[in-house]
Amino acid sequence: MINLVVALPAEARPLIECYRLTGKTILGGFRIYRHADISLIISGPGKVASAAATALLAGGIPPGKHAAWLNIGIAGHASCATGQCLLAHRITDRATGHSWYPPQLLDLATTTAHLITVDVPENSYHQEAAYDMEASGFYPVASRFSSTELVQCFKVVSDNREQSADTLTAASCTRLVTAGLDDIDRMVRALMALAHDYNAWHAPHAELEQLVSQWHFTVSQRHQLTELARRWKVLLPHQPLWLDGLEKKTRAAAVLQCLQQHLDALTPGPAEESAEHRV
Amino acid sequence: MFNHIYIEKQVAEHPRTQAVCARFPKATRVECDRYGEVFNPNAQDFRLQKRRPSLILAHKHHGRVLKTPDGYGLGGHRNYYFSHLLNCLYDCRYCFLQGMYRSAHYVLYVNYEDFGADIDARLVEAGNEVCWFFSGYDCDSLAMEPVSAFVEHFLPFFSQRPLAHIELRTKSTQIRSLLKRTPIPNAVIAFSFTPEEIYRALEHKVPTLERRLQAMLQLQQAGWRLGLRFDPLIYQPGYQAHYRRLFQQLFSQLNSEQLHSVSLGPFRLPRDFFRNIVQLYPDEPLFAGSFSDTRGMISYPQGLEQEMTAFCSRELLQHIPESLLFPCTLAT
Repeated sequence: MINLVVALPAEARPLIECYRLTGKTILGGFRIYRHADISLIISGPGKVASAAATALLAGGIPPGKHAAWLNIGIAGHASCATGQCLLAHRITDRATGHSWYPPQLLDLATTTAHLITVDVPENSYHQEAAYDMEASGFYPVASRFSSTELVQCFKVVSDNREQSADTLTAASCTRLVTAGLDDIDRMVRALMALAHDYNAWHAPHAELEQLVSQWHFTVSQRHQLTELARRWKVLLPHQPLWLDGLEKKTRAAAVLQCLQQHLDALTPGPAEESAEHRV
Repeated sequence: MFNHIYIEKQVAEHPRTQAVCARFPKATRVECDRYGEVFNPNAQDFRLQKRRPSLILAHKHHGRVLKTPDGYGLGGHRNYYFSHLLNCLYDCRYCFLQGMYRSAHYVLYVNYEDFGADIDARLVEAGNEVCWFFSGYDCDSLAMEPVSAFVEHFLPFFSQRPLAHIELRTKSTQIRSLLKRTPIPNAVIAFSFTPEEIYRALEHKVPTLERRLQAMLQLQQAGWRLGLRFDPLIYQPGYQAHYRRLFQQLFSQLNSEQLHSVSLGPFRLPRDFFRNIVQLYPDEPLFAGSFSDTRGMISYPQGLEQEMTAFCSRELLQHIPESLLFPCTLAT
């Protein structure tokens, strides 16, 4: 599962076509496009808009799932040639001076760069860095919903000291993103694979909810049950999460005790060990 | 080895920073104000990062040389540890580092001279008493030697301070920098082992038992004092046969009369670390067993822990005199 956050319709168009996304939903003024495991939201320009759109998209993630996030767009750069694709290894909000460092785990050929988010378009390119208007809004919000390894910013250089941003048009934005599609697609696939692994590791036992629906578990007991179900999944991967006679238990505490005793009997430890000291 | 090297502004011009960067000319250098900006943020996943950790070069400001927990040591009264490096090249599933740090990036503190000054300060406090300094607590002492040049710097330092004893604890075979030096009597190179079955299941990226044993033999031949560490002891059904075989394999080739020390310790983790690790590796069989929680310390059930420690101690004493055996007795 991946969420793409894009500022402009002109930047989104090639992605919508590439991933055959359809835009049936408009929420809070943002149009959301989807197909299979890919969602795309057009935020409009600026970090506040980007943060709002990111939060809105996050609201649609099923509980317990972790999506990958990719902010895609154009950016200025002091010296990089237009059309150059960049992945942000550092994002700095110029207004606050705060920086974030998206972990770089993926084995991709895309060059990485410092990305500075500005509130108004940058024309002087003071630092040897890329300049955009969204990343510092997108990144900290997306990082609240997913681990930072799954959250990245991908930019295509649209302007530099030689070629002013004033000459940019919607058509040229679309052309730039289209030219970067191969790199973007590699990034999308790699991030989706990472998110898939992450979700697979953290998926609860498939039959956990079935038990939860049969007895009343307090919040604390629910945690205990989740932990027992985790152990069950590892120790008894091919056995259903059930024991003979469990249906006769009237209280959740008794269910937990049965499951715990069954699992403890499979693993080391003298019988006299006090049950309440067990983890 | 590293695609990205994060460099604290403060150490950007440090000669050790320059030397490390020169080793990785293709790595992208990323400047940061403080390494904590990269290493400490909340929403990081150690397990994901372990796939491709980056290197962070930083300055260690405080807490460079710390007292070891009670019960940790090799018979000395003054025991300290210091960590020039956070995190380990290897990926042992039982390692507490996974539960302690949010990030799997390696943090290399380049201000070795400040560590040296703090060690000297401890020695002054100790007067004429021997002090032990353990270096492999938050990292493997030797595994990153080609990058860190830690041994290169600290062995000459310790060679001039006979009352300062250093333990280099490792699972590595990076012994070149040791072999090219004259052994010093106040350094112990301690190798950690678990039985082959545990190694295969839990010690990812670690050199094979045979390669480590070969490294030990080379060092022993060169005259270095060696230690053996069986810490943590890991349970598996049939652990008795596994550990017995391991001990036989090691002691049949090593000259036990030339060993400095053998220590063993049970598998124990602070509760918070254990929880963090289980969250990272919910699918790991090691953590699906039953454990005891005694005052915030997670361990095998007491009876099993005692049984394993007693068994391994008995077996070890068939190969070494009691004076060399140091069971780790961390308070719980």
